[in-house]
Amino acid sequence: MHEDDVLIGVLLEDACLTLDELSRACSVPPDWVIEHVREGLLSVPGESPAAWRFSSRDLWRARQMLRFERDFEAAPELAALVADLFEELDDLRARLRRAGYD
Amino acid sequence: MQFKDYYQTLGVARDATADQIKKAFRGLARKYHPDVSKEPNAEARMKELNEANAVLSDPEKRAAYDRLAQGHRPGEEFRPPPDWDAGFEFSGRGFSDSEAADFSDFFAELFGRMGAGRGREGAFRRQDAGFEARGEDHHAKIVLDLEDAWRGALRQISLRVPRLDAQGRVVLDTRTLDVQIPKGVREGQLIRLAGQGSPGLGRGPPGDLFLEVHFQPHSRFHAAGRDLLVDLPVAPWEAALGAVIPVALPDGSTLKVRIPAGAQSGRQLVVRGRGIPGSPPGDLELTVRVVLPPADTPRAKELYETMARELQFDPRAANRGRADA
Repeated sequence: MHEDDVLIGVLLEDACLTLDELSRACSVPPDWVIEHVREGLLSVPGESPAAWRFSSRDLWRARQMLRFERDFEAAPELAALVADLFEELDDLRARLRRAGYD
Repeated sequence: MQFKDYYQTLGVARDATADQIKKAFRGLARKYHPDVSKEPNAEARMKELNEANAVLSDPEKRAAYDRLAQGHRPGEEFRPPPDWDAGFEFSGRGFSDSEAADFSDFFAELFGRMGAGRGREGAFRRQDAGFEARGEDHHAKIVLDLEDAWRGALRQISLRVPRLDAQGRVVLDTRTLDVQIPKGVREGQLIRLAGQGSPGLGRGPPGDLFLEVHFQPHSRFHAAGRDLLVDLPVAPWEAALGAVIPVALPDGSTLKVRIPAGAQSGRQLVVRGRGIPGSPPGDLELTVRVVLPPADTPRAKELYETMARELQFDPRAANRGRADA
């Protein structure tokens, strides 16, 4: 393997994806993201859509909500509620692991 | 290529109604949804379910599939006849490149060319003259060792990528990438590989590939963001008198940590900036665990008895007056 063949990954830090980048990464039109932010289902990442910057976590959440909306035909509010519960579940599971209860 | 029985995948009869198909899909999706399921093959099963549902829930695709499926059994070697879909108009929902990459060769062979060269909705209308658009982004998971957060890592990743062949049919290629993961990566973080998603349409640029980072469980350390959590076992006299304790970190270095006199079991100590590296780096959080030496020799017993006699120590003093004391 030549050094030239190796792709260099770029770590996405917090607040780095624009509205277009997030929409593209979710394969949805920007309106889907705007609507979900306006409804409070995705975190509000700044003043106006042009200034919005999303994190890795936002992208992960948006994709999870999309899966619930698509696979179960869930209403966006319900998909967001389930995503909230999963976030809490992940947090509790991480605490259990730290406490030695794997 | 093997024939796939989508009815069998969803566990419904060939004459199932649209409602029965929807109900069967939802029931199985609840069982195998990768966000929910603990089944070891949940992700693969969910892809199969999505694929079967994409065909059977769309009346046009279902009708075309039914005509093609006559006389075929699941797993049987299969090659669709030329123009098998003549007479069908696929006007329903198309599917994206990223979905197509998840679906089987069988699906791609059958439905991948819908739109290609016919100008219909679909992800593969690549040849449309003058049409230009950026390729779709793709997503994949990558599992790293915690140590890789310090030293970075070189990983090989295999991806299935849809491509149009000379006849305008969709084929799925397997592409292998060697990727350098930079140090400082943390759980749940995304790594972007620019230009490694789907090819663009016309002269449009290719999409990006996003890798979602997960860590293998570590025997000693837990990561919480960039913070690193670890138990610090200490002897009773180290906890009582204070001590400087060496702590081996995942990068192979050793850090000397001073624990204050009187540190009880469960007490947390934080060393700023010595967690997972980054901007800013995480903290190292140590939880003191006092480990008792066993009283398994006459001398050890004598030492414990001396302490019991001379220290006048009551570990339950704080509970005095309580019902459970």
